[in-house]
Amino acid sequence: MRFVRRHILSAYAVLALAYLFLPIGVVVAFSFNNPKGRFNYTWEGFTWKNWLNPFGYPGLGGALKVSIEIALLSSLFATILGTLVALALVRYRFRGSATTNLLIFVPMTTPEVVMGASLLTLFVNWKIPQGFGTILIAHIMFNVSYVVVTVRARLVGFDRHLEEAAMDLGANEWVTFWRVTLPLIMPGILAAALLSFALSIDDFVITYFNAGSTITFPLFVWGAARVATPPQINVIGTAIFIIAVTGMLANIVFQNLRLRKGALAA
Amino acid sequence: MTESYNRKELLRRGVAGSALLTVPGLLAACGGGSKNAATTAASTTAQTMPKKLTWSNWPLYIDINEKTKTHPSLVAFEKHYGVKVTYLEDINDNDSFFGKIEGPLSQGQSIGRDLIVMTDSSGLPQRMVQLGWLEKLDKSAIPNIKNLQPTQQHPSWDPNRDYSLPWQSGMTGIGYDPKLVGGDIDSLQQLLTDPKLKGKVTMLTEMSDSIGITMLANGDDPLHVTDKTFNAAVSRLQKAVSSGQIRQFTGNDYAPLLANGSIYACLAWSGDMVQLQADHPGLKWVLPKDGGMIWTDNMLIPKGGNVFGASTLMNWYYRPDIAAEVEDYVNYICPVVGADKVLEKQDPAVAKNPLIFPTKAMLANAHEFDGKALNNEKYKKAFQQLIGG
Amino acid sequence: MLRRHKWAIPYALLAPGVAWLLVFFVVPMWYLAKMSLSEGLFPFFSFGWAWGNFHDAVSSYQVQFVRSVEYAGIATAIALVVSYPLAYWIAFRGGKWKNLFLLLVIAPFFVTYLIRTLAWETILSDNGLVVRTLQHIGILSSDGRLLATSAAVIAGITYNFLPFMVLPLYVSLEQIDGRLIEAAGDLYASKPLAFMRVTLPLSLPGVFAGVLLTFIPAAGDFINAQLLGTPRQYMIGNVIQSEFLSVRDYPTAASLSFVLMAAILVLVLIFARLLGTERLTVSHA
Repeated sequence: MRFVRRHILSAYAVLALAYLFLPIGVVVAFSFNNPKGRFNYTWEGFTWKNWLNPFGYPGLGGALKVSIEIALLSSLFATILGTLVALALVRYRFRGSATTNLLIFVPMTTPEVVMGASLLTLFVNWKIPQGFGTILIAHIMFNVSYVVVTVRARLVGFDRHLEEAAMDLGANEWVTFWRVTLPLIMPGILAAALLSFALSIDDFVITYFNAGSTITFPLFVWGAARVATPPQINVIGTAIFIIAVTGMLANIVFQNLRLRKGALAA
Repeated sequence: MTESYNRKELLRRGVAGSALLTVPGLLAACGGGSKNAATTAASTTAQTMPKKLTWSNWPLYIDINEKTKTHPSLVAFEKHYGVKVTYLEDINDNDSFFGKIEGPLSQGQSIGRDLIVMTDSSGLPQRMVQLGWLEKLDKSAIPNIKNLQPTQQHPSWDPNRDYSLPWQSGMTGIGYDPKLVGGDIDSLQQLLTDPKLKGKVTMLTEMSDSIGITMLANGDDPLHVTDKTFNAAVSRLQKAVSSGQIRQFTGNDYAPLLANGSIYACLAWSGDMVQLQADHPGLKWVLPKDGGMIWTDNMLIPKGGNVFGASTLMNWYYRPDIAAEVEDYVNYICPVVGADKVLEKQDPAVAKNPLIFPTKAMLANAHEFDGKALNNEKYKKAFQQLIGG
Repeated sequence: MLRRHKWAIPYALLAPGVAWLLVFFVVPMWYLAKMSLSEGLFPFFSFGWAWGNFHDAVSSYQVQFVRSVEYAGIATAIALVVSYPLAYWIAFRGGKWKNLFLLLVIAPFFVTYLIRTLAWETILSDNGLVVRTLQHIGILSSDGRLLATSAAVIAGITYNFLPFMVLPLYVSLEQIDGRLIEAAGDLYASKPLAFMRVTLPLSLPGVFAGVLLTFIPAAGDFINAQLLGTPRQYMIGNVIQSEFLSVRDYPTAASLSFVLMAAILVLVLIFARLLGTERLTVSHA
């Protein structure tokens, strides 16, 4: 009974993760599918050929590259902008904080189709040519709100005494921020960055309106879907996932080694 | 970027600055002449090939050589004329693409494309003609226009093919799984009323397809829509929606449902069926006996595109051998006479497939939808109410 | 020097983010606002203080508005229940693998929405294992289905927004000092009581953030209803989508958008009041 009690949480977490990955399992499986036609809807047999030629569809590789670049850049900038805003909102009392709060919430409430089209109107009126740059601008714009809300959740529970202690020990505000505050809110910042990345890499509607002639991965997939769903798309999704996980694992192992080395050196 | 403003331009910009989203039509109507020399090719009646052309099309809608990852027909064109063609596959939905280009076009700005491909069943090519957003074709550069299928030569909305040439067509009919249906289907009536099919039928979100086929089943003419015939079609469909007979209205996402057996029958496009049948040879497709619909993806030259260059490009694809090359990959309906003869030797399976080269009888039973009705807001709203939006 | 200009610090911090939003969100919203007060048929719209648009919007589409709030609410509640234990486990038992688990939570987004949904359509297809099993044990009637139902739409929305609930919850939970829970135990609190009185309250900022990040975008969602639902499941997002793109009735689409935005904000305010905002959004020195 105690065994169950102790492990019920872990069992539950495993189930939740399994649920999260159930469709992904299907996606991975279908990346090995061998349909004769252009649709990848039903299982027709196993093949390695999709994995051997993942970029077989012209345009797929280019679209993917654009998506990853935009996701990395937009999450970087949105995280910086959003963290600063979160710091201001949580820590300071100032005129206009209520309005700023509103300004942060409203973009999340706006339906994508009108947000995308209205932004396009701005670009057209101001004669800004649409392409990579405008997609990036749009992604940073809608990501900021998500970053603010996420980082704020971390900042609100932050124990200010730690900062006070640092300053009592002679650190000035800058140093306190860099050496005490930032590392402690880093999980919040990281989570916000991850969310932004996810939002950006999967965005379709807003991107569509503001992309000009640039094609991102979701745009390619949605566009192609009218006539085909090549298994290569599954391959690429799976591959990105594997690369990301491997990268993260490597990072953890590396950190571990560093800690061990540090401990030995001490 | 240098721009020359004339007084009209400045005035317009100042007054309409923040209301530009609100009066695109007015601007187009009064501002057609004063364009910015902002982007790529300016429209010209000169007969010299430009150095570059930009063509927007639907994805996977042109021949592909999977090894070299190029489009052989396009590469051949580039070599022949010494032109660089930027081929963009950024049209994936007519309405969305239109939503994207109407801003610049309504203000007389070029959209940086010489050729675009849009579907007549969306009503948008018709709309663009009305709004004056399309250039006329340079027919002197398109001698191969004589190869256009006779049935495609005089569509109701562009009777002389002054603004458009078909790229590919498709037919809308009934796709079904005979095993699950328990036999064959040949009428809309069965789709809408057979109790065995309850909840296993889907219709299309394209008004021209769903309403068009229903009108034909009612004995009405979809090419000449009236309030009476429209409402009759809507109420017939509404009954089937309310009873739960019609499961969903879909874009082409009926295809996975048909493939995995979640639906037994649906309104389906011929090109999709060709692909589905490759893996599910048991699936069938027919034109309803009362008639089906035919839609066409048309090549259009938006304002500001290079007319001679785009026309020459169109002409290239009306060579039977080139059309055959494209058709062998795309597998929709070819508008070029003679392409099937070319394919008879290379790929007889494609040449003989009536879903790609339909018979005269099939073409006679496939109808066009009234372009005016497609742009009638009242009808559109009523249809959207029907399908749930 | 910093001391003298201390009043300016919050504004300096805010400036870049707020400026970005002002230019790239507020200005477009201005265009949208003008459109919402216009009238006419595409493409001939004219501004006319058409306040009637808002009234028409609400009266014509009441059903979809209510349905959207309903579906988004249910999806958020389910997401909260599913995500909280997962976030808790990652925060307290994740150890050095925490970041890996966070990555795993958002990893499904690397596969585009369409492909994920196609996978669900395969899993939940009428002839698939899941449906047949549910029919067998009686949860579904013999000709019941999972796809094209409100259950499918809500499940789709929930699944889509899980990371948006997990991550903020984790962020808040991970910060909780384990010793507080220990202390509660030392004071004779049982594990569940310690959770209720210590952990849960301390994680409220995360709950608040997660609910916001899930409910708000879910209410405006359209794609799940479009792919997984019948016309009877269509949400206000679908209406706005079709009014804008298909019917091209921009004034209606614009006014519907504003009504939706206002409705969501009101609900958020009520929710914040219920939880007690001061504790959740500020922590002044």
